[in-house]
Amino acid sequence: MRVAQYLITLFVLLSLNFFLPRMMPGDPLSYLLGDPSTDAPILLTEEMRENLLEYYGLNKPLAQQYKDYLLGLAGGDLGWSIYYNAPVSSLLLGRLKWTLFLSGTAAVIYVTLGILLGAISARNRGTKTDVGLLVSVFSLGSWPPFFLGMLLIIFFSLKLGAFPIGGAQSPGAAQAGGFGRVKDVLHHWFLPCLSLVLTHLPGIYLLTRNSMLGVLGEDYVRTARSKGIREHRVLLRHALPNALLPIVTTIAMRFGFMIMGTMFVEVVFAYPGMGTLIYQAGAARDYPLLQGGFLLMMAFVVFFNLAADLLYARLDPRVRRA
Amino acid sequence: MSRLLGVIRGQKLALVGLAVLAFFGLLAVFAPWLSPHDPKEMDAPMLPPTGSHPLGTNDIGQDILSELFYGARFSLLVGFLSAGISTVIGVVLGVISGYYDRLGFTIMRVVDVFLAVPRFPMMVFLAAFLRPGLWTLVLFFVLFGWTRTTRLVRSQILSERNNGYVEAARMVGASDFRIIGRHLLPSTVPIALVRLIVEFQHVILAESGLSFLGLGDPTVKSWGTMLHYAFGYPTIFISDVWVWWAVPPGMCLTLVVLALTFAGFSLEERANPRLRRAWRRGRITDTPEHG
Repeated sequence: MRVAQYLITLFVLLSLNFFLPRMMPGDPLSYLLGDPSTDAPILLTEEMRENLLEYYGLNKPLAQQYKDYLLGLAGGDLGWSIYYNAPVSSLLLGRLKWTLFLSGTAAVIYVTLGILLGAISARNRGTKTDVGLLVSVFSLGSWPPFFLGMLLIIFFSLKLGAFPIGGAQSPGAAQAGGFGRVKDVLHHWFLPCLSLVLTHLPGIYLLTRNSMLGVLGEDYVRTARSKGIREHRVLLRHALPNALLPIVTTIAMRFGFMIMGTMFVEVVFAYPGMGTLIYQAGAARDYPLLQGGFLLMMAFVVFFNLAADLLYARLDPRVRRA
Repeated sequence: MSRLLGVIRGQKLALVGLAVLAFFGLLAVFAPWLSPHDPKEMDAPMLPPTGSHPLGTNDIGQDILSELFYGARFSLLVGFLSAGISTVIGVVLGVISGYYDRLGFTIMRVVDVFLAVPRFPMMVFLAAFLRPGLWTLVLFFVLFGWTRTTRLVRSQILSERNNGYVEAARMVGASDFRIIGRHLLPSTVPIALVRLIVEFQHVILAESGLSFLGLGDPTVKSWGTMLHYAFGYPTIFISDVWVWWAVPPGMCLTLVVLALTFAGFSLEERANPRLRRAWRRGRITDTPEHG
């Protein structure tokens, strides 16, 4: 049932991706070429034009085009980038590793920190510790990611000179190899990662806190306490595992948003990930690349949503039986 | 109204949040009278702050302080309209789907499909093709904003409608309309308020994010657009220009988001015992989908 529903969603998205550009005024190719009045009209060579016409099969009937599009997707064909004059799939894959590296490491940090702080806050609800944590986590985490990134660059890179302004590594670093390269990559990674951690922390923190609060009011926690089990054992063995249920599923869902979530941070720090690529595609009006990136993101999100749903059912026997 | 005040009373964080919101609301409403200049009028570009231009001028010579006031107008208007409309739609559909079983089933299937669509990527995609203005933006946000409210309101109605007092009302011959209006609808007020605030926050962040990426209407004055142009200016970080060009819109955005966070959090704490159950499913505020 669940799987079928997600398949329907995915199908709707795929179709939207196909039909939307074709519903635009003018024929799709003229739209692909860019509006001549804008700053970046794209001039096509004969070869690129051939590639485009072939990919979109624009002379064929719509039903045939649609079928070809779906079959192409099944074979991993995401189209041909006008701006880079290269297949979209290989462009996206080339950038994927940086995005995964940046968002993956950041996720490990903010999830751990969020659960830890959330549990502390719940344990001390209403006290100075709780209020202090709440106010500081919210205050640090409410900065829009693009603005936060700008400020970090200004203070840490330009004023203090402690970190590079952007990029993922220094120009010569790829050749350097060994420890020097690791150090260089980490040096570039720190500020973007810090921005991600700060903007994502409040979500996990608040979720853990409130989930813990809910669990701490349950009968089995009271039972455990009245049996004389020590407090930290009640917290760690009885309360936390149950409180983690919604957290695990939320985290699974968030993985789907990783590419998108890092987009602002990547753009501000000129990090060579997928988000930057998609952003540049938008700026250059490279619609095939934009559509390919969009599809990949959607597939990610839908897949992880499904995973979260299934995981939740596995972890919680009450849902499984229902 | 007294119910509304009752929910808010005694919550310091909520009061701080609402005060900040009210402040920006006033700026937005009175922007034309507060602004020293028309935000589209052009003077010399890149002027530093002076008496006539308290925050200087931007790269095409427009007064930055006036831009800031008009930006409050656009950002808050989009947020308020989108969040308001989608909450109303969400509550109405939620009540209907909770009260009428067969209709409810159909509505929930639609909700399921919408919920599986990642909102922000979808917005970026649509915006890249359609270059939205105010009403297109509101339409997008409403289209993807009502579903969570519907789901929460529905479960509230489901748990409420089998209570004794609803049965009793039915027994004495109250109409469906009266039962819903007098008994069921009021019980959804706390959920609706929390959802309104969360939605508001999401919309403001998403709108400014789109504008920052250059996917908004380039002629509209919004905080995101201001940051877009400031960030795109080649020497923005080298001189001190960022202090009066990039920081004010960024700080305004941050303050509004923070104020909404505080207000939403306090409401939720207050509305707790009832909301706590729903919380454990992890879906009430599910965190903003910004970066």
